[in-house]
Amino acid sequence: MDFQAEVNCGLHLVIQTSSLPEKNKVEFRLNKETSSFPGRLLQHDLERNYSSRQGDHINLVSSSMPSFPILQRSSEEKILYSDRLTLERQKLTVCPIIDGEEHLRLLNFQHNFITRIQNISNLQRLIFLDLYDNQIEEISGLSTLRSLRVLLLGKNRIKKISNLENLKSLDVLDLHGNQITKIENVNHLCDLRVLNLARNLLSHVDNLNGLDSLTELNLRHNQITFVRDVDNLPCLQRLFLSFNNISTFESVCCLADSTSLSDITFDGNPIAQESWYKHTILQNMMQLRQLDMKRITEEERRMASVVAKKEEEKKRESHKQSLLKEKKRLIINNVARKWDLQQNRITNIATNQERKDSDSQDNSQNDGGTMSAFPEETGSLDSGLTSALQGLSVTDTHLVEVDGDTLSLYGSGALECLDRNWSVQTAGMVTTVSFTFIEFDEIVQVLPKLKIKFPNSLHLKFKETNLVMLQQFNALAQLRRVDQLTVDPQGNPVVNFTLWKYYVLFRLSHFSMQKINGTEVTQNDMIMAERLFGILAHVASSELPQYRLISILGDARKKQFRYLLETKGKKPGIVNEENNDSKRLVGENTNRATLNYTTRDFYNEKLEEIKEKKKFCKTYIEDLVKEATEINMKNEALQKLWPQMFIELVRDAVIEIRNKNSYMKICLQQITDQK
Amino acid sequence: MLSPERLALPDYEYLAQRHVLTYMEDAVCQLLENKEDISQYGIARFFTEYFNSVCQGTHILFREFSFIQATPHNRASFLRAFWRCFRTVGKNGDLLTMREYHCLLQLLCPDFPLELTQKAARIVLMDDAMDCLMSFSDFLLAFQIQFYYSEFLESVAAIYQDLLSGKNPNTVIVPTSSSGQHRQRPALGEASTLEGVEASLFCQCLENLCDRHKYSCPPPALVKEALSDVQRLTFCGFLVALSKHNGINQALGALPDKGDLMHDPAMDAELERLVVRSRLHRTSRQHRAEEPGAFGFQRRDKPEAPETVPSASAPTPCLYRWEPRE
Repeated sequence: MDFQAEVNCGLHLVIQTSSLPEKNKVEFRLNKETSSFPGRLLQHDLERNYSSRQGDHINLVSSSMPSFPILQRSSEEKILYSDRLTLERQKLTVCPIIDGEEHLRLLNFQHNFITRIQNISNLQRLIFLDLYDNQIEEISGLSTLRSLRVLLLGKNRIKKISNLENLKSLDVLDLHGNQITKIENVNHLCDLRVLNLARNLLSHVDNLNGLDSLTELNLRHNQITFVRDVDNLPCLQRLFLSFNNISTFESVCCLADSTSLSDITFDGNPIAQESWYKHTILQNMMQLRQLDMKRITEEERRMASVVAKKEEEKKRESHKQSLLKEKKRLIINNVARKWDLQQNRITNIATNQERKDSDSQDNSQNDGGTMSAFPEETGSLDSGLTSALQGLSVTDTHLVEVDGDTLSLYGSGALECLDRNWSVQTAGMVTTVSFTFIEFDEIVQVLPKLKIKFPNSLHLKFKETNLVMLQQFNALAQLRRVDQLTVDPQGNPVVNFTLWKYYVLFRLSHFSMQKINGTEVTQNDMIMAERLFGILAHVASSELPQYRLISILGDARKKQFRYLLETKGKKPGIVNEENNDSKRLVGENTNRATLNYTTRDFYNEKLEEIKEKKKFCKTYIEDLVKEATEINMKNEALQKLWPQMFIELVRDAVIEIRNKNSYMKICLQQITDQK
Repeated sequence: MLSPERLALPDYEYLAQRHVLTYMEDAVCQLLENKEDISQYGIARFFTEYFNSVCQGTHILFREFSFIQATPHNRASFLRAFWRCFRTVGKNGDLLTMREYHCLLQLLCPDFPLELTQKAARIVLMDDAMDCLMSFSDFLLAFQIQFYYSEFLESVAAIYQDLLSGKNPNTVIVPTSSSGQHRQRPALGEASTLEGVEASLFCQCLENLCDRHKYSCPPPALVKEALSDVQRLTFCGFLVALSKHNGINQALGALPDKGDLMHDPAMDAELERLVVRSRLHRTSRQHRAEEPGAFGFQRRDKPEAPETVPSASAPTPCLYRWEPRE
């Protein structure tokens, strides 16, 4: 019989009968006055159809109600099939009145045109009611059927589940192929084992509590986007969600909590197209035995857990990365703001800036040369990161970031990172160093450290570093080698000067730079640079007095220059020549070496120091001058007086020896007195 | 040198006039600073070198501004050094802004003040937008006037203001009489309709100033000559006239004539040698085909590309000589 195919689930129908006979002997007798009936049913049609199909004769008799046919069966029929009545394909538009069949247990109205359930209230022993494929618009008229166990209302026009309050014994409820939009009024059906709501208009699943016996829930071919309450169904084993609108696992996450589920289908949903579909389901629903009508093997399960773990890892990783990126962005913003303040205000801001030290630096530091920048303890790190992020107040003032071959420093506090111990591998990989929001003068001071700690750094980038003078480029000469230089116009006014690149090439010619601000350096450029500034170099080296050269160059170059000076032949130009030895020792054209850069602060400091000396010199010279002028004065006075004195001397002498005798006596006297 | 008036001054004044003390003090100061280095090769040699460099004009290289400004000779030497070092920039035809010239100045003197450069630029640009471009010679001549005679110019500015506002600094105010005795200029309204001041009056004031000024002044005769063909002049006009007057330039003695500003054959030869050397230094590296103006930034005034081949004269022997040595 038809209804059995619908309920193919191992249902144990109470109705214990031998196979039902093909033919039913039912009689219909139609009221002759049915011509006034809204002309849908004619007796001869009925007879014709019925007898052609089933060969029974039905008699419909007139009843007291003018519009309902009355059904009567022959007594043999009644005795033979006392508990069942099949009225399928009878072209019924209304439920006929069924008289004298109060012990009917099975009623079949399939394939008719019935619009309302009526006239069956008296069949209070009814267990099985099949109204499949009719035109019923509303569930009603069932309130007396307290024994009803199977209610088949598929393929009707029902819009709402209602009026099932008294059907507490309901075992199977089939409402497929209707227009139901919402699951409701089923919470009291605690014996319900099968609920079929396929091919309806459901958009979500909830309100399922109370269905404590539900084993199978069919929701195929709906518009479901999310599922809830399924974990409240303690017996649910099979859940069919094929051909719905589920796209994320979160929308059905309650399924993970349902321990009874063993069979589930998701095919035809967007979620089934996702790459992570299978392993996510398997990973989250360990209790499943079949997915999409296919058995789940151990292998699959294992794969799923592996993949899921990997995904988890990746997600965590990307989460970490995005957190870190956010943090970096915040820090950089902070540094930028501080920098702006610094630039706009002439006076120094007091240096009471707190520093989020170990958190920001350790999380960014690269140790061990791995690409990821995190240590391995994930849990603590997550919390550490989030707390750091939360604790990241606007006082975080610098950022150090190592990204493979680039070391990026933001904010002047970042320069301290050069004091840290960097692993040789990490430091060796760094080829580009980028400075942002740091005063160039401060960078100059750490260049020696940079040279030592990051020996392979070949490309320097400066942005917002307050490069204003050509002279500042002189400071870069002390590095070992620079292949590329990038000076961002933002925050570096020096770039506005026409000749800045030529000056850089000239001063740093020993580096043989290849690129400046992304453009290749050509032979022509080098020549132009020499042409423009060559004389400056020449003047700076050959025309300075030696002591100045030495004092400017300092100790390291002393030996170098002495060597050169010894070989300084008759041709002054040669002293600037490349000499392999000199290159090895110094590594640069020595004629440029005197072009140095001292930061303004140092310069002023030096001038201050010299003031003392100057004062001393002044007084010293003054003393000397005084002495000299005194001597001069005395000299001049002497010059003036000398003639007179000379005359007097001569006169005195002449007077003395005028009288020879008395003079001799006086001399002798003098000699004896001396004894 | 041995003129009698030399001996007419008392000692200090004589020394001060020749700035001998300045150099002595500076020498001793340098000696103190570099005690360890200098003691190794003798103090006498040090003093020799020092005063030699003073004579040659190289003592001001890379020195602080206070020293450079201290004596007229220092100033003149500085101007000359600047000219020699950066003449090539001018020769190239580049026009630079005031700030760029200031940068170049700072290469030679790290703490050179910006105000001086600004004032010099104002002479050239006549108070126009300060970001205008200037040619090397224009700037240099204006800068020379501004730097060398800076104190003088300040006084002149004051005089000019006075004249402009109607006060004549030459007036002697006799307190006994009433208002009629003052030789007042006519009402301000009349002065303001005409620009500047009357040239002859101005010259007279300048002469008086030169007489009593202890700072260096341009020779008054030359000043008069410079202003001879104008009736009235503004302060800017005066400065421009000064800077363009060749005689004053020669009197200063630091720079060659304007026409010769780009010429310095000795340095050019030296430069060629340097360029050749640097070219050879790079021939070992791989280069791309030569592209003029590879930097891609705007050169404001592109001259003929200086692609001179080194002359096959004196430099070549030394090339041949040091190559095999390596």
